[in-house]
Amino acid sequence: MSMNIHRIEVTPKHGEGMVDVRGDVIRRQLLADHNISIENISSVVGFIVKVDLDEATISKDVEVLFADPIIEVGNCNKNILENEEIFEHRPDAVICIGFKPGVTDNPGTAALDGLRTLHPDISVNSLISTTITYSLNGLPKDLDLDYLAKQLHNPLIQKAIVKDTRKRSVSIPQLDFPERPNYEYHQPAVVDLEVSDEELIRISEEGILALSLLEMQTIREHYRKPEVHEARKLLNLPEMAPTDVELECLAQTWSEHCKHKIFAAKIEHHDKETGEKSIIDSLFKTHIMKPTEDMQEEVNWLLSIFHDNSGVISWSDDLNLCIKVETHNSPSALDPYGGAMTGIVGVNRDILGTGLGARPIANTDVFCFGPPNWQGKLPENLFHPSRVLSGVHAGIRVGGNESGIPTVNGAIVFDDRFIGKPLVYAGTVGIMPRVLPDGRESHIKTPAEGDLVYMIGGRVGYDGIHGATFSSLELTEESPSSAVQIGDPITQKRMLDMVLEARDSGYITCITDNGAGGLSSSIGEMAEYTNGCEIDLGAVPLKQSGLSSWEILISESQERMTIAVHPDDQHAFEALADLHEVEHSIVARFTTTGLFHVKHGESTVALLPLNFLHDGVPQLELESEWEEPKLEQFIPPSVVDHSELLLQLLSRPNVASKETLVRQYDHEVICQTAIKPFVGKECDGPGDSAVLAPLYGDPHGFVVSCGLAPRYSDIDAGAMAAAAVDEAVRNAICSGVDPAKMAGCDNFCWPDPILSEKTPDGRFKLAQLVRANRELERACRGYRVPCISGKDSMKNDYGKGPDKISIPPTMLFTLLGDHPDVRKSTTSDFLGSGHHIYLFGETREELGANEIAFMLQEKGLTKGVGGEVPRLHDIGKNLKMYTALSAAIHSDLVASAHDCSDGGLAVSLAEMCIGGRQGASVNISKISETTLFARLYGESLARIVVAIKPENIEAFENSMSGNHFTKIGKSTNNNYLEIKSASKKILKLNIDQMVESWQSTFKGGDF
Amino acid sequence: MPHTPKVAVLFGFGINCDHETAAVFNLAGGASERIHVNSLVDGSVDLEEYHILAVPGGFSFGDHLGSGRLLGNRMRFNLREQLYNFVKAGKPIIGICNGFQVLVKTGLLPGREEPDFIQRASLTLNNTGRYEDRWVTLDFDQNSNCIWTKGITRMEVPVRHGEGKFVVPEMKILDEMDATGQLVCRYVDPSTKTGEGITDEPIPFPFCPNGSIRNIAGICDPTGLIFGLMPHPEGAYAGWLHPHFRRDGRPTPSPTSSPFSHIIEDDTTSAEPNRSARSREAERDAWQGEGMQIFKNAIEYARENL
Repeated sequence: MSMNIHRIEVTPKHGEGMVDVRGDVIRRQLLADHNISIENISSVVGFIVKVDLDEATISKDVEVLFADPIIEVGNCNKNILENEEIFEHRPDAVICIGFKPGVTDNPGTAALDGLRTLHPDISVNSLISTTITYSLNGLPKDLDLDYLAKQLHNPLIQKAIVKDTRKRSVSIPQLDFPERPNYEYHQPAVVDLEVSDEELIRISEEGILALSLLEMQTIREHYRKPEVHEARKLLNLPEMAPTDVELECLAQTWSEHCKHKIFAAKIEHHDKETGEKSIIDSLFKTHIMKPTEDMQEEVNWLLSIFHDNSGVISWSDDLNLCIKVETHNSPSALDPYGGAMTGIVGVNRDILGTGLGARPIANTDVFCFGPPNWQGKLPENLFHPSRVLSGVHAGIRVGGNESGIPTVNGAIVFDDRFIGKPLVYAGTVGIMPRVLPDGRESHIKTPAEGDLVYMIGGRVGYDGIHGATFSSLELTEESPSSAVQIGDPITQKRMLDMVLEARDSGYITCITDNGAGGLSSSIGEMAEYTNGCEIDLGAVPLKQSGLSSWEILISESQERMTIAVHPDDQHAFEALADLHEVEHSIVARFTTTGLFHVKHGESTVALLPLNFLHDGVPQLELESEWEEPKLEQFIPPSVVDHSELLLQLLSRPNVASKETLVRQYDHEVICQTAIKPFVGKECDGPGDSAVLAPLYGDPHGFVVSCGLAPRYSDIDAGAMAAAAVDEAVRNAICSGVDPAKMAGCDNFCWPDPILSEKTPDGRFKLAQLVRANRELERACRGYRVPCISGKDSMKNDYGKGPDKISIPPTMLFTLLGDHPDVRKSTTSDFLGSGHHIYLFGETREELGANEIAFMLQEKGLTKGVGGEVPRLHDIGKNLKMYTALSAAIHSDLVASAHDCSDGGLAVSLAEMCIGGRQGASVNISKISETTLFARLYGESLARIVVAIKPENIEAFENSMSGNHFTKIGKSTNNNYLEIKSASKKILKLNIDQMVESWQSTFKGGDF
Repeated sequence: MPHTPKVAVLFGFGINCDHETAAVFNLAGGASERIHVNSLVDGSVDLEEYHILAVPGGFSFGDHLGSGRLLGNRMRFNLREQLYNFVKAGKPIIGICNGFQVLVKTGLLPGREEPDFIQRASLTLNNTGRYEDRWVTLDFDQNSNCIWTKGITRMEVPVRHGEGKFVVPEMKILDEMDATGQLVCRYVDPSTKTGEGITDEPIPFPFCPNGSIRNIAGICDPTGLIFGLMPHPEGAYAGWLHPHFRRDGRPTPSPTSSPFSHIIEDDTTSAEPNRSARSREAERDAWQGEGMQIFKNAIEYARENL
């Protein structure tokens, strides 16, 4: 039978207890976010089915497959909105939304799988595309339907039809099947590089290659070598010029995203404040790798650092943990939902591709956005921050939840400049047996010549071309849609189940994920182990025919792993993949030729020496110049109502509770999460860090925490980096981490720091990077936290010229530490009344770039945010204090512990009261010789508030002797927080008031 | 009479609570195996070899086309005979969260004495329209013949779902189910007394997290052997998973104690050798979670009856 197209439409039934929740959510969202009031919205899910079945047959499937007979009603090949038995009233307006051709359609894939369960013999070319239609009744006057439709879809990946249907003569619209345009295969082209410099730059820019002139020249130089000509001639390749396949492959491999050229650059650093002039040969080697390698000599638990997809530490006698954090900023700017989702499923693949394969067991997510209530101008092509927030949140929610991995820790930071580029960090912790059943250590890859290289999971398509190079450029209005993808967590889950079984069966000799750069990167990196590979692009399964060789090689289509298998295990490996319904193809073999050899069928399309591919990129030479930014001083207003001020602080987006968002993440699937994101009596107080017990039945655990302070970069990016490390460490200490076993993960997100016409302040931005790295090293050495993994994203700017927006330099520090017994964790909530409250650490006059300064500046009460920024002073002293506190926690001496950060002591105390629904009476006169503002709201680092039961006071104080602490008050049975300074009343707030302020900011909208 | 009943824990296609469900059955005294759905379909594993079947939580097929529907169809069309025989052999089945949704859409719940694989109820989107993870309080029908919940009156457990609202086409079905004890557990207001929380009237969010009709959280079939619920009892297997474990007066853990060691007397490596076996037992029980009882009940049932 020939292929037919059938249209099946399904809508919820109405009846007792049955409502159209999907439609109603949209109605509420439009009201909350856009103040558009529509009486009723109904939803219709459409399945456009292309299949070799006739209407009579597929009609019978409507209630078996497409509609739930109890709660839904559906029909086939009729317009359901015109069916008066189902829709009593004709819609006033209709909006149909569907995917553009080639965009991942997960419900469509699932429906097709369901159709195959019923009809196993349908054509392999069958396809299902899904749509969602909203039927609107009761429209407000002057409603701009086009504006409305814009709020409900992303034109980059979806198409929409919108129609006012109040006139009977207007037909109810429907979308057609999104036919893919035909792609035509192009023979590999020869790119002549024997051209002028201008021409070289043009080739790079037009091809989105993101290669500099020097890099283009270096490539040209390679093709001028006589020995290169010899080899190329034998394989019928152009002798003196690259093929497009080779040039694209080099561009991916040499991209900033893959090669971290700025971190590897030679930097001439000039500090105009101190007069220092020095040369730094690679920030990465000097300030990140070296300290970790030094620490590796002192501890025995650092197993695999820097060279694999994630860093690995030993955790127990039998198990290792690993961690990786990625950013997905550019894709999230273009499509917040898809960008964030591919971010989280992508970093999970990094864990799966670590060693011989690790199991992801926890996700973290940290976002930096523009203010959700932004009223100002929005640059062309950028989404409103609230839409970025809700889209990213949904992407992380779906990606994490459907993967079955708990999202246990994170943060959201807001600043105007993140409108230009949102930061979306997604992290994963993984676990792996130290030794596999066959005796191999699981963190070491063991590929050999002749091993078969499989690509498994998803297929390769036009989606995801140029992701790596695109993310190495600033965002412009013309950023390509092919760089955007939607993840498919279920395809990935099937693959993950299968890969871990294959690992335990001993089939895997090498594994890595297909992320940036696609097969060119994954196989290219693996080929280094044996020193060579031969790839056949003709063997790569495609989503659509017609892709050219270079497109197949570099496409970043999702949900794919590259796995090497010994030929003896071929049959067993493939049988396992078949059982799990995971697609698999042998696409390459390892060789020892020293060559990255790519064929398409019989003909060779690329031949690159591996050493040139991986080490040929010339080292950048850059200059940095530090001069302290001159900021107007923050001068606190002399007369203020501190009760009111604290309530305002509590409702600031940077401080307010994000519980509404976080509850929508599954944070305890797999049943390991002992300390959850929210804690306390009503489970709505802030958790400082996540504590997990990964062995069922055993309380041995680990801690995950994070720290970041982007706004400190306004004064000094070095202080920003140090603050991030300290915050992560003290958060972990508050939960009882073992300070002797902590590892870190550094993730830099920077505005472009390379001096150029579009970046006239490149030297300064690079100096900020230098200072951040130096402070990172000092903090990591001081706290003895080796960085075991990290990443950098160096082009976080939007636009050019005066309208250019650059993000504040940001480094996220994620910490993974050991926890001997999760039952002994502490949390931030007060556990009872009469507990003595102590402030640990020194409070200094460091209000520069603090949250209070930004708040008062925004309110027009003060002019500047400048002044002393919180700095990391005596790390040795801090570590001694942290170590003693952790020991006291494990001796059951500490009832509550909470870190002091955004908003200072006042906010910390308010949060402890909220968590415990317990009052507190505090006197802050003896804390330090600083201003009231510094003592109340100052964010000096290395400070922790603890509460101790009266019976433990003596033992506790003894155990903490020699450390800096001040007893500041007691928890009470009164229903308020009261703060005095000496005899002066400073503030008094009812707990319910504080709860209301803290929770209301993010409670309103439906995210 | 198996001393160690064999438990088949299904996985594949997006089921994601298979590891912990298997582990908790083991802690309860069973011998569990994770079985891929396709291993049953292709006959490489025989369901008859097992005493208990568990369909764990997760996102089978991404919940597309409705939670549990596509896996429900695979089971309905490809495993019908094996499931029929398993039920007729009087063997217990549990469906948790997505597994509950699967059993409802397969037609095994609410079910008939004679399984006919016809869907008679459904689970649909929460009234809030949101997926949420939070802890709830359940009360159990003391007149139920459900073998899984014997002796359980109240339990605090996590829910983690977006489609947990239980609905039926006609309310009289619920009256019949109530009369036969099939409405096994309901969401209750935690401030009510244990045993007095059950009500047919809607209780507010978040006590009832999804707007389920009559606050229904879990149901069983007429035999009491097939049980499905939206909350995750395995998520409350250990005391340290309870969000209030630091607040509810659990005993201070002793340094080397393991709450899941089965033989107390072996605990002689304790740092406190003088502690009585009784106090060690008390500590162990305090750190075992409330959710364990459901799994222990089924293991006990299998030991006695199969």
